[in-house]
Amino acid sequence: MNELDIEGICRIDERITGRYRPDVWEQRTAYYLRRDPDSSQVAEIDGRVVGFMLGEVRGGEFGLEEPTGWVEFFGVDPSAREKGVGRRLIEALLGHFRSKGAHVARTMVASGDKEIASFIAAMGFVPAPVTALEKRL
Amino acid sequence: MKDEVRTLPKAYHDAIEHWQRHNFPDYPKLAEEWDRFFPKDEPFCLCAKIAEDIPNEIEVGDRKGQQKALAPKELPEEAAKHLLTAIKAQASTEFGSIQQHQGTLARAQEPQDHAWALRVMAEELRHGYQMVHLLTSADWSPVTDTKAADMVEEILSMQTGSHVLAAFNLEYDSFLDNVVFAAFIDRVGKYQLTMQKISAYKPYASSMPPMLREEAFHLAAGVIPLRRWVEAAARGDGYITISDIQKAIGKWFGRGLEMFGDERGGQTNVKYGLKDMANREAQDMYIDELQRMLDDLNERYVRARFAGVGRDEAEKRFTRIKAGETVDGVRPEDLLRLPDRRFFRRRGEFAYQMVGAHGEAFTDVEKYIAHVLANLPEAYRASIDVKHWADLQRKVTRGEMPLKEAINSMPRLARMGGGCPCAKSVRWVQESSAS
Ligand SMILES: CC(C)(COP(=O)(O)OP(=O)(O)OC[C@H]1O[C@@H](n2cnc3c(N)ncnc32)[C@H](O)[C@@H]1OP(=O)(O)O)[C@@H](O)C(=O)NCCC(=O)NCCS
Ligand SMILES: [Fe+2]
Ligand SMILES: [Fe+2]
Repeated sequence: MNELDIEGICRIDERITGRYRPDVWEQRTAYYLRRDPDSSQVAEIDGRVVGFMLGEVRGGEFGLEEPTGWVEFFGVDPSAREKGVGRRLIEALLGHFRSKGAHVARTMVASGDKEIASFIAAMGFVPAPVTALEKRL
Repeated sequence: MKDEVRTLPKAYHDAIEHWQRHNFPDYPKLAEEWDRFFPKDEPFCLCAKIAEDIPNEIEVGDRKGQQKALAPKELPEEAAKHLLTAIKAQASTEFGSIQQHQGTLARAQEPQDHAWALRVMAEELRHGYQMVHLLTSADWSPVTDTKAADMVEEILSMQTGSHVLAAFNLEYDSFLDNVVFAAFIDRVGKYQLTMQKISAYKPYASSMPPMLREEAFHLAAGVIPLRRWVEAAARGDGYITISDIQKAIGKWFGRGLEMFGDERGGQTNVKYGLKDMANREAQDMYIDELQRMLDDLNERYVRARFAGVGRDEAEKRFTRIKAGETVDGVRPEDLLRLPDRRFFRRRGEFAYQMVGAHGEAFTDVEKYIAHVLANLPEAYRASIDVKHWADLQRKVTRGEMPLKEAINSMPRLARMGGGCPCAKSVRWVQESSAS
């Protein structure tokens, strides 16, 4: 991923969520680019961005000391789905995590989000022995 | 896959810190702004970083497959000479860009833009540090009589005006230049570093990956503010107009192209396994990438001009405007465009050919100069650099100066006297030394 992929990511996000949020994606891409530009991935078909997957290796989150590859934001253009784009994106991302010394990848899925849950499960992720907890403030 | 971190011997480390105090006085602000703008990031480290996992065998050129050199003496003499020139030039650009940024850094309107530019500068300082490490940690005596300490002194005493490449001798006129420079000139840096990832000199190859990772952010620090400015310009509530940006592009684009070296050259570097592309090939890719960047900015502009329409319709309108149509009051000339690669050129294949921003040929030198001036920022037009160029253009066109002499002539801020830049004992003189 590089700085010229931002609009392509915005386009996919807009197709998924119906919202155009360039400022949000500029902040997010800048974050991943300055931390580890080789980590986050985009998929292109005919020079057009059709999928993205942002993530990085971090240690120490939630008291999990080991370096963990976090899969954080992703999306595939609805017109390019079910062609293996999501699979190739996650393979590239996990490959990078491995090369950075991570032995585990983690992500969080909203429990109502069946589409993402099925994809993540198909990619070999299993429920982790941690429970996500929250408290409304 | 973690980089090895190295610190310079104390004398050199101190020399760089001394340089920083004089040339980059805002550096301490970075630590103050870090937690606000880069909260999760590891603190900045002024050090050399050496990547692991670099191939041991030469990847391109005549000696492909042989062992990479670990010391300059293991390279063919000509290759080592080329490489030393490249490292010194690279060092000059790193320190030079900090001097340029520093002049207008404080004029950033947004705190985030300020913090990003500041971080870019600090990382350029680290790149300069990396180059000094390369110069001082190896024995270059097979190819130069100059001692390491003197090479470092020479680099650290350069000022805006006495650097190796013209792009680093232009002062910034406003914070717009900080941003356009990052988008255009750091992008050349990305190409140069990428080409040298395969360097037959392993210590140099190992220096590239950490620098390239930082460069990715530098490009974002250029493009993201530009994206916001074009949108604000389209809405009519910005402070920077499309025309301001266009003129800044006119100022920098040609200098960026010239950083690749003469269009016809570069094969020697490939032959020696120092780079994997010749100059024109890399320059072509650079131009394509800039075109994509401008398309991106223009698309955002068009979309903001037609706030009510959706993405697909805005994309269609952009395509029509780009093809030359005026759509609902948005004209093709309202969009940013890359000047012709031959426009306002002073080195390389197209040096001093009178080609306009849109590729039009000029025969009358005064008309050409007027055309170029009309396409440059006002503050820059009033600079010694522009006057120097116009004088040379006139002389070349009238046959009063050989092209070669004009190409090698740069107004230089030659150092007179002491080694410490705080003496600022410099004055403008014209030198005909080739860079
Ligand atoms: C989830 C998503 C990334 C999948 O992308 P994709 O390119 O279509 O996925 P692939 O074609 O690579 O599919 C990989 C696997 O996931 C499974 N999968 C993908 N989408 C699925 C769905 N909607 N339902 C069930 N399984 C699905 C497939 O079974 C496939 O497995 P297989 O290769 O064994 O057949 C895509 O649908 C998407 O972008 N969804 C919206 C994401 C989103 O809301 N992002 C915002 C939050 S950050
Ligand atoms: Fe740099
Ligand atoms: Fe840079």
